[in-house]
Amino acid sequence: MKPHHWKWLLLAGRLGLAGIFLAAGIAKLREPWAQFAVSLYGFKLLPDDMLEPIAKTLPWAEVALGVAILSGIWLRWFALLGSLIITLFLGVLIRSYAMGLQVDCGCFGSGEALGPMTIVRDSTMLLLGAAVTFGAFRIRRS
Amino acid sequence: MEKMRTALLLVSALAAFAQAPSTPTAAPKKPAAPKSAEAAPAKNFKLSGSPSAACTIEIYTDYECPHCRRLYLETMPEILTKYLNTNKIQVLHRDFPLPGHQYSKLAARYANAAGQIGKYEMAVTQIFTTQADWSQNGNIDGAMAKVFAQADMVKIREMVKNDSHLDDSVTADFAMGQKDGLTETPTIMIVKGGKRERISGFMPANILGSYLDQKLAQK
Repeated sequence: MKPHHWKWLLLAGRLGLAGIFLAAGIAKLREPWAQFAVSLYGFKLLPDDMLEPIAKTLPWAEVALGVAILSGIWLRWFALLGSLIITLFLGVLIRSYAMGLQVDCGCFGSGEALGPMTIVRDSTMLLLGAAVTFGAFRIRRS
Repeated sequence: MEKMRTALLLVSALAAFAQAPSTPTAAPKKPAAPKSAEAAPAKNFKLSGSPSAACTIEIYTDYECPHCRRLYLETMPEILTKYLNTNKIQVLHRDFPLPGHQYSKLAARYANAAGQIGKYEMAVTQIFTTQADWSQNGNIDGAMAKVFAQADMVKIREMVKNDSHLDDSVTADFAMGQKDGLTETPTIMIVKGGKRERISGFMPANILGSYLDQKLAQK
């Protein structure tokens, strides 16, 4: 594959990754913050007093990260950060599924029960994030 | 620099889009209390609180749903003390019996029959408290008889058996729930200033309380 092909692939991956974070953040922001807090509560990971601040700030962080990735500024670092965040989310989902928790994923707003497809989808997102990160570092080096 | 400018423009546009909430809809009228041949209730027994309250929370529940039980027994007592008893909110119970729960409708009939004799809250509390028992065999009557006087049980049984209008409010609530886009129970609709916001799933009292504080503080 020629170098400019890699660039186009990286651009497509970057748009996809940015779209994921933007869609996730905006979907949450369009609902009452308490709805996302309910999802977070269901995962039984956070202390009660952390639910509200995280429910209020995480969607904005996702939007900001989406914008940063879309803009291409410091792409390799933001793509790396995005991949790490998806890894964290995926870990939480796998843990919750293994524990048999019946929770609303809350990933792209409410109404999606956690199931095997959620984990498959997030794993695919992680692969995309890893590919964009790898591509961004590779192109930077060359 | 160009990238920075583009990013800033994107953030502004997205912020405006994200702030347009997806769930609020125009507030419909509250359902009328069910008609009964036995006794006409003086008011809608499913609604409590001061009419001058700034905000109404409508709680859709299914009597056989474990999360509804938790919401009613764990979350609501604190909310009622802090917000209902201080005239900050009104609370409206709405029945949303899920198709997969075979005794939910019967439980709603018992609760609404008790409401007709002015003992709705007592019935709801008992039905939720004994959920684990009657959801196995449908013996809601037995669960109710443990806390209701014999005279009351006679009236309740008569209505459960013969009152053809006892399910009217359930039908109205279910239709309203579908209009509200319900997919699960419990679901709370927070109604203020003509707007309805939907929050689905079990919610601990601190989250619901904090959200109500925020809504009440808004003009």
